[in-house]
Amino acid sequence: MDRALSWLLGGRRALASHLLLAPASLWLIFLLVIPAGGLILLSFAKNGPYGAIVWEFGLQNYARAFDPKYLPVLIRTIMFAGATTVLCLILGYPVAYFLTFRAGRWRNALLVGLMVPFWSSCLVAYYSWMIVLGKEGLLNTALIRFGFLSEPIGFLYTPFAILLGLVYFYLPFTVLPLYASLDKVPRSVIEAAYDLGAGRWTAFWKVTLPLSTPGVVAGCILTFIPCLGDFLTVEILGGPRYYLLGNLISNQFMMAQDWPFGSALTSLLLAGLVGGLWLYQRWEKA
Amino acid sequence: MGEPISRRSFLKAAVMAPLLPSLLAACKRADDRKVVNFFNWSNYIGKDTLPGFSKRTGVEVRYDLFADEDEMFAKLRAGAKGYDLVVIGDYLIPRFRALNLSEPIPPGALKNLNNISARFRRPVYDPDEGSVPYMWGTTGIAYNKKKLKKPPTSWWDLWDPKYKDRVSMLDNVRDSIGVALLMLGIPPTTRDPEDFRKVREHLVKQKPLVKQYSSASYLNSLVSGEIDLAMTWSGDLFQTARENPDLDYVIPKEGTHLWVDCLTLLRGSRHREDTLRLIDYLLEPDVAAANANSVRYASPNEKALKFVDPILLKDPRVYPKGAMMKNLRLNAVLDPEQSELWNQTWADVKVA
Repeated sequence: MDRALSWLLGGRRALASHLLLAPASLWLIFLLVIPAGGLILLSFAKNGPYGAIVWEFGLQNYARAFDPKYLPVLIRTIMFAGATTVLCLILGYPVAYFLTFRAGRWRNALLVGLMVPFWSSCLVAYYSWMIVLGKEGLLNTALIRFGFLSEPIGFLYTPFAILLGLVYFYLPFTVLPLYASLDKVPRSVIEAAYDLGAGRWTAFWKVTLPLSTPGVVAGCILTFIPCLGDFLTVEILGGPRYYLLGNLISNQFMMAQDWPFGSALTSLLLAGLVGGLWLYQRWEKA
Repeated sequence: MGEPISRRSFLKAAVMAPLLPSLLAACKRADDRKVVNFFNWSNYIGKDTLPGFSKRTGVEVRYDLFADEDEMFAKLRAGAKGYDLVVIGDYLIPRFRALNLSEPIPPGALKNLNNISARFRRPVYDPDEGSVPYMWGTTGIAYNKKKLKKPPTSWWDLWDPKYKDRVSMLDNVRDSIGVALLMLGIPPTTRDPEDFRKVREHLVKQKPLVKQYSSASYLNSLVSGEIDLAMTWSGDLFQTARENPDLDYVIPKEGTHLWVDCLTLLRGSRHREDTLRLIDYLLEPDVAAANANSVRYASPNEKALKFVDPILLKDPRVYPKGAMMKNLRLNAVLDPEQSELWNQTWADVKVA
């Protein structure tokens, strides 16, 4: 490939390797760098009559974003994202462990099965959950039929429904990195632990678990970060009292027609995430 | 190593080859196909309305749907190209003009405009008639007859603690803030921040009772018994009630606003002639009547009324009569400053 390219370019090798990188770089530039730049620029603009954008730059949108009335939304978002991450980890670790060490020849089939929910949009998945959780839904019908309940419970539009939706959607994001890092744990090391007299639990706590930490960290990051910006779950499964940061942002663009303020909120979220990851990396290196 | 094919000529050919078919295609401009791109609310047109137009004129109507007015507005603002015609609420008309999204229909371009009843001609929100009334309706209360001992009669019923977790409210600035102002007896044209503080408090007080802020999915919730009362748009409930006779609609005794959805020509439309033909067709009495019979909203078309299903025409919930009609008012036209106050107040209610 490299050679064919350098023939096309008349023997310029350095250029050839740049060209090989070009699709990825262009993708990043056009779909990430330029839109994010535009967003940041927009966050300093002014909201004009009827939501027209006025290009007079100032910090007013950022000043507004620090209004204490948004603090409960931020705290609620962090709590939902944190709870989702913890639940995904608790549920996901045994799954990843089973896939790695116990699944045997079923492993690939099960891995594909884990990905099946992604074949449809999460919108479809959430609407299916509405059918399951509704007052006349599968869950209530079954609970009443078997005598556990006499009256249907309103599961929908509660924190329970939101958490269920989030965990359902983000679980594979936790399982896959966990699986990847458990798979890399050398079997010989675990066997050595057994040989040296460790029981199953000791071997797991002292050897397997510590060696899978990179997967735990990656899984948590991959779950926590998208959760912070999620708005669809609350929009469909959540009620009016569980408004999250993602809803606040999407509302600025849709309902309030205040794009500059929405951009400021997005830029702050972005800055928080990049800052957090940077701090984490420094801490990890130290 | 020699160069069996000259590098330069190979490159030239390689770049040109894929371009050829598209160059050829570009010569046949897309414009000579007869098409109108129509962007409308879901469930807001009769089944035979558009096929009838295509059959008569040979113009294909590409029909695209939205379920949320804000989403439609945001999409068009963000520069969605290719739509020729859209149905928008009266209050959006000044906004579409100000943001240069719409193009006024020139006077005299429609031969059936005079079919529109005098009441809806030269309205406050569009005095030079740059758009055409499509349907009108009211915002009221939908409820489940079987689940409520006493039917609601007042907007205050939606604030009654005994209905906690059984209520849904429209997620829409115009209706939520408009009704709150009406309930508090504050004129809708106010720009006093103190008034908006009261409105916010009033809506926040109701929040613990509300199961959903929604403009579409609440209809399913009503059917499935998730909620029993909802702020709704008249025709949406009548459509749902066709298959769920337990649902009913009431215009609260305090009155409500009468709103008008309008056919609006979008700026940059490349099919103006055919779009105007489609609007003219929709204004024909029998077409307008069949359309209104199907979507169960009221028709602003005077000449169409004699073809409208007599059951609908006599139904005071669809065509309010006498004193009730006097209790209805058109949405106030808001200037940018008022509009911003409404938006901000609703945004604050959602955050609270």
